[in-house]
Parts: sequence; C-alpha cells; structure tokens
Amino acid sequence: MDWELILGLGRFLLATTLLLVLTIPTAFVIIQMEMKIIAQLALRFGPNRVGPRGIFQSSIHGFKVLAKEDTVPDQADRGTFTLAPWMVYMAAAMSMLVMPFAPGAIAADFNISIVYFFAVIGLSVVGLLVAGWASYNKYSLLGGLRAAAQMVSYEIPLTLSIVGAVVLAGTLSFSELIDWQRQHGWLLIWQPIGLGIFYVASLAEINRTPFDMVEADSELVAGPFTEYSGMRFGFFFFAEYVALFIMSGILISLFFGGWLAPWPFPAELGGFAGTLWGIFWFFLKTYLFVSIAVWMRGTLPRVRVDQLMGMAWKVLLPLALVNLFVTAIAVVVFDLKGV
Amino acid sequence: MTKTDPEVRIPDPIDLDRAEEDRLRAAAGLAPVRPERPEYAGFEQVGIPDRPPETAREMEVYSLAEGEMLLNMGPQHPSTHGVMRLLVKIRGEVIVDIDPVLGYLHRGIEKLCENATYTTVLTYVDPMDYLSTMHNEHAPAIAFEKLYGVRAPKRAEYIRALVVELNRIFSHGLMMGFLALDMGGLTPILYSFINRDEIVDMLSAISGQRMLFNFFRVGGVNFDVNDEFISRLGTWRSHVLENIEMNEWMITENEIFTARTKGMGTLTGQEAISLGVTGPNLRASGVPFDVRKAHPYSIYPELELEVITQESGDSYARYLQRIAEIKQSIHLIDQIVDKMPHGPVQAQVPGIIRPKPGRAYGAVESPRGLYSVYAISDGGPNPYRFRMRDPSFISLQAMPKVMPGRLVADTMAVMASFDPVMGGVDK
Repeated sequence: MDWELILGLGRFLLATTLLLVLTIPTAFVIIQMEMKIIAQLALRFGPNRVGPRGIFQSSIHGFKVLAKEDTVPDQADRGTFTLAPWMVYMAAAMSMLVMPFAPGAIAADFNISIVYFFAVIGLSVVGLLVAGWASYNKYSLLGGLRAAAQMVSYEIPLTLSIVGAVVLAGTLSFSELIDWQRQHGWLLIWQPIGLGIFYVASLAEINRTPFDMVEADSELVAGPFTEYSGMRFGFFFFAEYVALFIMSGILISLFFGGWLAPWPFPAELGGFAGTLWGIFWFFLKTYLFVSIAVWMRGTLPRVRVDQLMGMAWKVLLPLALVNLFVTAIAVVVFDLKGV
Repeated sequence: MTKTDPEVRIPDPIDLDRAEEDRLRAAAGLAPVRPERPEYAGFEQVGIPDRPPETAREMEVYSLAEGEMLLNMGPQHPSTHGVMRLLVKIRGEVIVDIDPVLGYLHRGIEKLCENATYTTVLTYVDPMDYLSTMHNEHAPAIAFEKLYGVRAPKRAEYIRALVVELNRIFSHGLMMGFLALDMGGLTPILYSFINRDEIVDMLSAISGQRMLFNFFRVGGVNFDVNDEFISRLGTWRSHVLENIEMNEWMITENEIFTARTKGMGTLTGQEAISLGVTGPNLRASGVPFDVRKAHPYSIYPELELEVITQESGDSYARYLQRIAEIKQSIHLIDQIVDKMPHGPVQAQVPGIIRPKPGRAYGAVESPRGLYSVYAISDGGPNPYRFRMRDPSFISLQAMPKVMPGRLVADTMAVMASFDPVMGGVDK
C-alpha cells in the first residue's frame, strides 16, 4: 500500500470539495455586495427586508432559483442545452484549484499552475457558445457568438500581459511567484503596464461591465442565457460571480503580492497562524477588487462590440507585446533573471 | 355546400367589396385603389409574416439575401420603450434594414374622444403620451377654446405654462436616464427618477393625481396653486440644477457614452424637415423651429425664450439639446413665477358645451415635438372629428433612415435618443 498516494488523493478530494462548497457563499456574498453597493450609488436603500439589514437577500434569491420551473424550448438541442451551464460553472470551479489562498492553502500547488489557470478559465467560452447555439433563439445565438469573439480575442492580451511577470520571476507557479514578490516587492512596481492590460482584459474575459457585451440586456435580452430558467440559469449566474472572484484573486496574486501583508511584519509567521494571516490578506485584497468591479458596474455604460474588439487588437495586444519586449531586454541587459 | 368542404372557398366580404370597387373604378377609367400584391415567393422560408407582404416596402424588408437574418426586437423586449416591435434585418451584427411595426398599444383614443363630450375629452387624452400628460391636455384645451370662443383667464394661462414646463423638465430628464440605460448605465435613470418624483409630487399637490393629471379644463385649469405646491416648487428649485448637473456629470463627459453617441444616428436638418421630425430632435439637427416661438400660444409671447439648436444632429446632439432645454425650462419657470397675476383660474363654461359648427387647430410644443389637435364640431356635444398629431410617431420614422450600416447594439441607443413614447405613437 502506498500511503503517500492515498493521503494525497484524500487531500485532493477534500480540497476540491471545499472549493466547490466555497463557490456558493462566494457567489452569494458578491451578489449581495452588488445589490447593496449599486443601490447606494443610485441613492436607493437596496435589500433591507430579509434578515438584519437584508443580508440574506441573495441567499433567498438562490433558493428561489432552485424552486423555479426548469424549462427547455421545444426546438432546443436538449443534451447540449443541459450541459452548457455545467461547462461554464466547471470552468470557473476548476480554475479555483490553483488559487493561492495562503501558504499551505492551495488545493494543487504545482510548477505550471499559471499555465493551467489560463487554460481552464478559457473553457467557459465553450459553454457560452454551446448555450447560445442549443437554445434555438436568435438573441442567444448572437450572444453566444459575441462571447466566442470577445473571450477568444481577450485571452491573447490577457495571457501576454503576464508573460513579462513570468520572465521576470522565472517561474510559472503561483506560490513561487508570490515568494518572489516577498523578496523583491510586488510586481505592481515592476510591471505596471502589464497590470493595466491584465485588469482590462480580465474584465472582458469574465464579461463584466463595461464589457458585458454577452448579456447586454438592452440589446440581446440576456444573450446566451435568454432561454434558461431555474437552476440552469442559476449556474450561469453563479459562474459569473465566481469568475469575478477568481479574476480578482488571480490579479492580486500576480501583481499585488497575493497573501502577503503590505508590510513585511510578521515575516516569520509560520504554520497555521501564517495560513490564517495569509487568508485574511488574500480575501481583503480580493474583495477590494471585487468592489471596484461592482462600482464600475454602477457607473459605466457598456462599450459597443466593435469598439471592444478594436481595443483588444489595436491597443492591448501591441501594448502587451511592447511590454514583454521591454521586460525581456531589461532582464538580459540588467541581468535580472530570478534577480 | 358544407362548411367543411375544403375545395369551396367562401370569399372574404372585404375582398368582394374591393373587387366591386375596382370594377367600378375601372369602368370609370381610374386605377384600382389598392395596387396588386407584389409577386413574392420567399415568405415560406422566412416564416414571418404568416401572409404575403402587402406593400413593396414590406417585401423589401422580408426578402432576405444570403447571410441575412430577421430579428424581431419586441414587442416583448427589455428596452423598446413600451410595446414596439422593431423588425431588424441583420447581416452578422450589422443592420441592413429596420422596420418599426406599430399598433401593439393602440387603444382607439381618437374614437373614444369623438364619443365623449368636449369637457371629458381632456381626460381621455391623458394616457396617450404618458410622459407628457400636461401637454396632451394643453393642445385639445386650446383647440376647444378656439372652437367655443372662450379664453382662459390670465392666471390660468400662467398656471398652465408652469405645469407644462415642469412636465417638460421631467420628461427630458427621463430621456437622459433612458439613453444611458439603453447603453447599460444603470444609475443615471434613478437620478432622473429622483427629479421626476419631486416634480410629480408637486403636480399631484396641485392636480390630485400622480401620472394622468387631468388638470386642464376648457377655459381654465382645475385648481389654483396651493401652499403645498408652492413650497415643493421652492424646495425643488433650490436644488434642481445640482441634481441635473450630478446626472450630467455621470454621462456627458463619459468616454464610453460619447464614443457610442457621437456620429450615431445622424439626421441632417433637411432630412429631418422632409420626414416631419419636430421638437428637440429637429432642433438638434440645427433647425430653429419651436412652436412656442414660431406659432406662439398661451403666454409664451410674454416670456423671454430663445430657440436653442445644436449643429451635428447625432444622438449626442439630441442629448445635449435635452439638457439645454431643461435649463431653459427652469429659466421659464422663474419668469412665470415672477409674473403670475392674481385672478380666477376658470372661465364661465357650462358642463356640456355645444360649439357652433366649425374647425379648430391647437398646437403645442411637447417634449417630443409639435403635438397638435384638429377638432371639427358639428354643433353637437361631442367632437365630430378629433385628430391628434403625435410627434413620437414621426420621430420614429427616422429610424429606417439612420440605422442601416450600424450595429445591433446601436438600435436601442439611437432609438432612445429620439425619445419616442409608444403610448403616443399608437394612440
């Protein structure tokens, strides 16, 4: 008996279960934040009836979605129609596997976790495209095709924007990248242009305002989700908010030091206390960026689809290439590799 | 002959009438009233409409070339400003043709008015253009006063101008919000509604109702101004400019907003005139036509009023025009409050009036343009003919003109900039 293997397998199963369970409160919290913050921006009260200060409103929404009838259009392709929400949700949940919450609190900490992350997060476009096609609805089809065009285009600047950071740190693992940031300062200082590109591209990648072309309620009703109801719609909805959490988490891990406190003290906090300390900072920073995304949703209108694609190919992609080029030259000239 | 016999087609009486009419006309050497239906083979593939198209224009819209698709926007759609159906022919995301299909909110208001007495007509016209209720009542009131030969007292005219300008402000304010909402901006509409709510509270204090005010009467208005109205007006006036500026601050300079409205839906002055577009949409194209100035009515000749115009005629110009007009209306309200005389608010008019046979025309500048009423009296207690010209209906005709070549995403944004209200379009 290989006890190492069984132990590792058990740990993996426990971690994945915990992550899947974690997606539910994450989505509830972000939906609640969104309702409340946008209400405050619009000089409304927002939810204030369910529970103290309305804190259970989003949970009630979740249960409502469970209780709703699940309809399938007559001419829809039933099999793929059913699979699509699952694909989108799993893409989000699977990418949480490498999310660096804290030292010792990463479900799978392997040496190419950055590559894994960008491979898996891009899978959700398949689900959206399938949903758009299977619904047998013109709005869904337009939304699905928009999703495909938008997410495939933005994946390129998104991935290129972090190559500079990877070259600088000489690693493809999130935990090693954060360790590098502990020694040399946050990548925010080293890669400001990369950060800007990553932020814009990540908003487009997860279809957040001002790039929420895929849903675009004033044009496409609800895009690929138009024909969905009940918990199938709920999965799309959940996946969207979980994706926002994931992108914010990855953003702070790449550029804002991940679980590191903004000051080096206490540097030598190890063991369980270090994990808790890391989790605290991780969630604080992540939710800061989630709030910024919510704030933008309350403020900005939506850009048009051609302007969006134009920005990806004409602005972000050249900028990302220049950033990579300059970083690579600097690494060679100043001999910065691994510093 | 049994009814179930499929071979025997019972002729439609309307078709019989038509055939008879055409035969008579042909005998007299005239062309048939209705042209022959055009040859059309494509509708089996398209599926809509479920009948052959009746006009050349319908056929043009419904025939699809390779790679084109018909998309029905509405009547159930989150942002068609009521129940309107836009039939959009698209190639990918690019609009090839667009055809507004109307009639989903038709309530037969003209006919209702013809069956009502002159005094009760003013209650029926309220729900037409439901964002400019006061203007809806103003035009028939003017027409009926001309018809009956009565004049509203001076104070009544001032109160009319006051409530009408207040109505214009909230209508234009909502247009700002809806324009942003149709581009995905969630907040400006709620700021607009804060402003609207204050005005509606004010108007409900004076008229007793919140939406369909039913405030105008033939020969005056229903109530004089009261203390609550005055105090609400003062409070509102003290911060209205801040409210408008806060909303403007979110929209006007916004990069995304300007990128999506500048150069969009451009209507030149000549095109606008030939379509019959009036109101802010016409003035945004640079034509200085304002009914309040061109055909003065009520007390507008006594007030200082400049006709504001924009140059470019695009969605952004229409938006700026609305903001300028809000500020102008606030200026007008200041003057009206300063100059308001004392006196009665209602002339002596019997409950059921029977004007002498004749015709009268009343036109006002509504937030959407020239809104007018043409009434014919045959001496009875109700109008023999009551015809309304609604400006939204005509603004909407500009859509097929400006949309081809644009993207699906621009449909709603451009339509919101024309600010049509379906209640008025369909009557």
